[in-house]
Amino acid sequence: MKNITAKYGVDSINKQVEDDFTFGDLQESDTFKAALGFGDNTKTLVEGIEQSRGTVIPQGAIVRLETAANSKA
Amino acid sequence: METTEILIRGDGTLIERRVHERILDVGQSVMEGLTEETRRGIRNVMNLPDWGVAHANVGVNDTLWSVAIDRISLDTKFRLIDGVLVPAFTAETDIEMPLVWPAPKEVRLVFAVQIACCYLAVKVEGNWLFAFDKEKRGYRLPLPNLHDDCLICTGNFDSHYGSCYEALLASLEQFRKSEWNSDLMRNLEQSQRFFRFRPTDETFEVLPIDAEDWTTLCNKVSTSILERVVI
Repeated sequence: MKNITAKYGVDSINKQVEDDFTFGDLQESDTFKAALGFGDNTKTLVEGIEQSRGTVIPQGAIVRLETAANSKA
Repeated sequence: METTEILIRGDGTLIERRVHERILDVGQSVMEGLTEETRRGIRNVMNLPDWGVAHANVGVNDTLWSVAIDRISLDTKFRLIDGVLVPAFTAETDIEMPLVWPAPKEVRLVFAVQIACCYLAVKVEGNWLFAFDKEKRGYRLPLPNLHDDCLICTGNFDSHYGSCYEALLASLEQFRKSEWNSDLMRNLEQSQRFFRFRPTDETFEVLPIDAEDWTTLCNKVSTSILERVVI
């Protein structure tokens, strides 16, 4: 298990997750979604750098979620 | 100049740290590189007639302007449901009219404009409409013509102007006069619970939002643009 901090806007949550927990898992997690209020269309950043969904989140990482831009429907 | 520091670690070990400092003679390009991501918020930069004060968040390459607005012009199609007039946005059979929706005090609306400098002019990079709660959380209103990140779909719009003042006024005027259609529509029911009017003999009474907490009808948003908004 490892600890990560996820931030969305002014809200943040610190939580213990499995060792193989990825950025994509975070984006799809109902627990994090409910706590922080983000939807399906997000991107993840660590220190301002966008992360890919398949990358495992390092222990102690502070992950910022942002609403991703969508194209015209 | 060299300074020596003696530190005590948590385990009781004593550490000597020597710090050597010298002033670097760096050029302007190095300074600009180091401060590329540095931005400064400046309040009350200019007053916009009929709209109010514009605040700025100034970066090296652009400025994000924030204007607190207190109303939204809803020029669109409306439908009467149980005596309440609500936006329908699409239906050809519904009534088309311009109604002004004054925002209740708990909904803090901010119109944001990103402006970049270019040769002998400024360029509007985008317009955003955000709603903030009292804790300064940002939300996307239940409106069409708004992308998920609250970027406004402005349609045809001249992006080059002689000054930031002109660019801001043009952006706000475009926002005021634009018709709302069904592009990027998410949930019509949420729109109809948010924007409500009651026809009276001579005018339209604005009804309260049909929810205990207005944010439940919106989508919470977090973006790099929103973080630059000066409220």
